[in-house]
Amino acid sequence: MNLARIYARVRADSPTTIVKQIPVATFFLLALVIVILAPMNFVDNPTAMATSMTIAGFATVLALYFTSRSMTTGWALVVPALDFVAIGFLRVGTGTNNSAFTALVILPIVWLAAEHGRRFIVYSALGAALALLLPVAYDWHLLLDAPFMVRGLMAPAVFAVAAAVINELSRQWRRRADSASREAAERAELLRESVEHSQQLAESAAKLRELERMFRGLWGAVTEQSVIGTDRSGLIDAWNPGAVKLLGLSDVETEGIRRIDEFHLAEELTSRSKELNFPVGETVLNPGFSALVEPTRLGNADVREWTYVGANGHLVPVELAVTARLTESGDIAGYLFVANDVTKAKELSRLKDEFVGLISHELRTPLSSILGYLELLRDEEGVELSKNQLHYLSVAERNANRLLRLVGDLLFTAQVDSGMFHINQTEQSLDLIVSASVESARPAASTAGITLNASIANGVMIRGDAVRIGQASDNLISNALKFTPAGGTVTVSVATTATQAVVSIRDTGMGIASAELDQLFSRFFRASTATKNAVPGVGLGLVITKAIVTAHGGELGVTSEEGMGTCFTMTLPLIDAIV
Amino acid sequence: MGRLIFGNPAPLSVVAADDDDDIRALVAIAVERAGLHLAASVADGNAAWAAIQHLVPDVVILDVSMPGKSGLDLCRLIRADDALKDMTVLLLSASVTEWSQQSGLDVGANEYLMKPFSPRELAARLSELASRREAKP
Repeated sequence: MNLARIYARVRADSPTTIVKQIPVATFFLLALVIVILAPMNFVDNPTAMATSMTIAGFATVLALYFTSRSMTTGWALVVPALDFVAIGFLRVGTGTNNSAFTALVILPIVWLAAEHGRRFIVYSALGAALALLLPVAYDWHLLLDAPFMVRGLMAPAVFAVAAAVINELSRQWRRRADSASREAAERAELLRESVEHSQQLAESAAKLRELERMFRGLWGAVTEQSVIGTDRSGLIDAWNPGAVKLLGLSDVETEGIRRIDEFHLAEELTSRSKELNFPVGETVLNPGFSALVEPTRLGNADVREWTYVGANGHLVPVELAVTARLTESGDIAGYLFVANDVTKAKELSRLKDEFVGLISHELRTPLSSILGYLELLRDEEGVELSKNQLHYLSVAERNANRLLRLVGDLLFTAQVDSGMFHINQTEQSLDLIVSASVESARPAASTAGITLNASIANGVMIRGDAVRIGQASDNLISNALKFTPAGGTVTVSVATTATQAVVSIRDTGMGIASAELDQLFSRFFRASTATKNAVPGVGLGLVITKAIVTAHGGELGVTSEEGMGTCFTMTLPLIDAIV
Repeated sequence: MGRLIFGNPAPLSVVAADDDDDIRALVAIAVERAGLHLAASVADGNAAWAAIQHLVPDVVILDVSMPGKSGLDLCRLIRADDALKDMTVLLLSASVTEWSQQSGLDVGANEYLMKPFSPRELAARLSELASRREAKP
């Protein structure tokens, strides 16, 4: 049962002004018909009779007007008030005390009495009194007529009591209807809330299902990466299609049965464990697993190369990212192992190395012939070459050597790229290496009209490759000479701090724009000052120098001001610092 | 002609192998300048091995990367053969990796020269090797 709807209907059905006026109008019409058709003469005052009919008619028209404006109270109550007046005149017209139509007065009384508020009891009593006492207006002697006055006062009093009862009843009905409506509204609200709640539940269930579908789809779609989940002790609890493909076992064969470290090369786990100083980690019983997840457990990102062992014992080199799965409170619930097969990448890198080796060999062989035969030409016995011929020879030799250096540099950077660049780490005195570089640069410096100063500390011992360090310092010094105009100065110094050997090469050359400084060590980059001033080079020297310094655990820094000069600083760890 | 003169020892014989004709010619010139006798000059590893076994030269000059057998393979074979193991072996290589030189010395080569090499320097090395060998017996 919908109480709210019932109440709304009651409200809608509550009578309009015209509906309330219809009984009054009907009885007036009836009175008119009776007066006209009756054989005896009812009417003793035709004027009053006409007035009464006019007022009743006017009241009915007003009722129609108020109904059209949807007004049922307030000014609309003018209608019952006019009804009282009309009834008063009707009584006057039809014989006052003997009038047959006195009972009509009950209709406007009920109307007013049912209005909201106790004051309407008084209004209806006053209305009744007005209707009953109106004859006094025609004949004041009636005031002295005892039966008339008794009737005129008693009847309204009785009507007032009746009005009070009606008023109270309608008040109670109204209150009941209000509380019913309130209850209905409350229930409707409750109902709405519960419907809303269940809708929300349905929505979130749908969302969950959607997420689940999404996750399933995603999980199934990852076929090129192996994704394996474990609990905190390494027991596998998730095994994706990528893992099936990579390792040749299904999820049913692994989840809850196998451990992640069973799929790793045991030697690698052992050596990594040793590297990490045998971390206790998650489980003392399984040091291999602890080594696998130790950096992740400590909150560090961990991506490194490992070797997986597949179902048939086949080995797969992988790049493995280990991440932690967290509980709601942020504790580690388990681990995720996402692996990329790097077999192809390794093969590619091997092919690239082979290619570089081949190219370098193929380029060096013709260069060997060129340089060898040029030398024969120069050394030919019994032939005296002219000055011009000697000059041509030296140009050809210089360019062949330049080509040779370029091939060497390219090969070297390729080796650095592929990680094939290794250095012989032996004890070396850096001061001797740098001094040798300075001495070998002296002829070039004096040809170019540049002052070459050196301030070199003694006994600066480092661990490294003398040939490579020599190459680095040669590169930096020849760079400084190339970029310094005649009359400039290049200063080379070797000094030490508590832990570092510092080699600096300062020039008074053209400098490097500050915006270009961070690109300086990228392959084939050439500073704008270099190209503008037509300084020869291909942009490999600094790449090589930086690679050499980095491979020695050192750093290569640069400061420069355009037009003022540049200072390169090569920092290498002192041998004492290493120990 | 020198070997016909009494008391003057015959010049050391040399077998050279390199797949590049021009380099082989360059080696031949250096051998001649050092006063050695070039017994054979071949273009691949198998021919070199045949020549070495047949001629038993005093000195072999081998390119490291050749078709057939590499210079390193040949050096290993020579050192493993009782009749040949005392030969002087000189390797020539166009490879520049650090470990290639080491691998040359590991298989027992006496000298390891990087290409490009100076013919003058090769001749000097050969003369030096010759005088060392002649002084020995």
